[in-house]
Amino acid sequence: MDVVETVAVFVGIPALIVIVVGGLAYAGSDGIRRGKRYRPGRPYDFAPVWFLAAPEQVTAASDAKQLGAKPQPPALSTGELESDGSQSGPVAVSQGATGGASDRW
Amino acid sequence: MSEPAAPPDAGRPEVLDGPFNTRQLLRLDQALRVADKSTGLTFSVYVGDVDDPPREFAEKLHGQLADPARSVLIAVSPNQRVLEIVTGSDARRRVLDREAKLAALSMVAAFTGGDLTGGIVIGLDQLATHAGRA
Repeated sequence: MDVVETVAVFVGIPALIVIVVGGLAYAGSDGIRRGKRYRPGRPYDFAPVWFLAAPEQVTAASDAKQLGAKPQPPALSTGELESDGSQSGPVAVSQGATGGASDRW
Repeated sequence: MSEPAAPPDAGRPEVLDGPFNTRQLLRLDQALRVADKSTGLTFSVYVGDVDDPPREFAEKLHGQLADPARSVLIAVSPNQRVLEIVTGSDARRRVLDREAKLAALSMVAAFTGGDLTGGIVIGLDQLATHAGRA
């Protein structure tokens, strides 16, 4: 083989493969991930979303959008509850103790 | 999938303008359904800002569900970087606080890496597994 052929085979083909694979990877990440990707510390400006598997499980009236997501939890800022945090009054909030966990990152 | 129903009023459903793209929404939806179906408990996920103190806010949200005793709420606030898991009085007997804490740890690990969807799905999976079958 002459020089040109040698170079083409041993340099050109790997370079071609690298470009093709790199291009696919770039296109994959660009489409889905970038732009709206969340990173801790970056501001998060989206409206609150509340997901349920079946929207009819929420008692408060809401117009559940597709996929059962319900933006804007209803009527939470109205001061119905006592500010001391104990369960009392007519509002049906957590009768009995609730459990769970908290964490931060 | 839950009702693909409602005639598209203004085109895109609002939820698609949020932080999750379609594929992630589908993953979340499926994770919620599987968790609900396999445990008989009601799981829900809230992603958004929470008012201080976060625990109280999460419990208020939890109380708004149709059946709080048998519900588990996961509240994630990416801005304030707070995660709350609230289990109702019946649910907490099946998902112990200790197990909820373990799930929270896994979720936080994913969130720190910037993966909201993955973290939520992991959390739902762990909680549902701990809760056992209905």
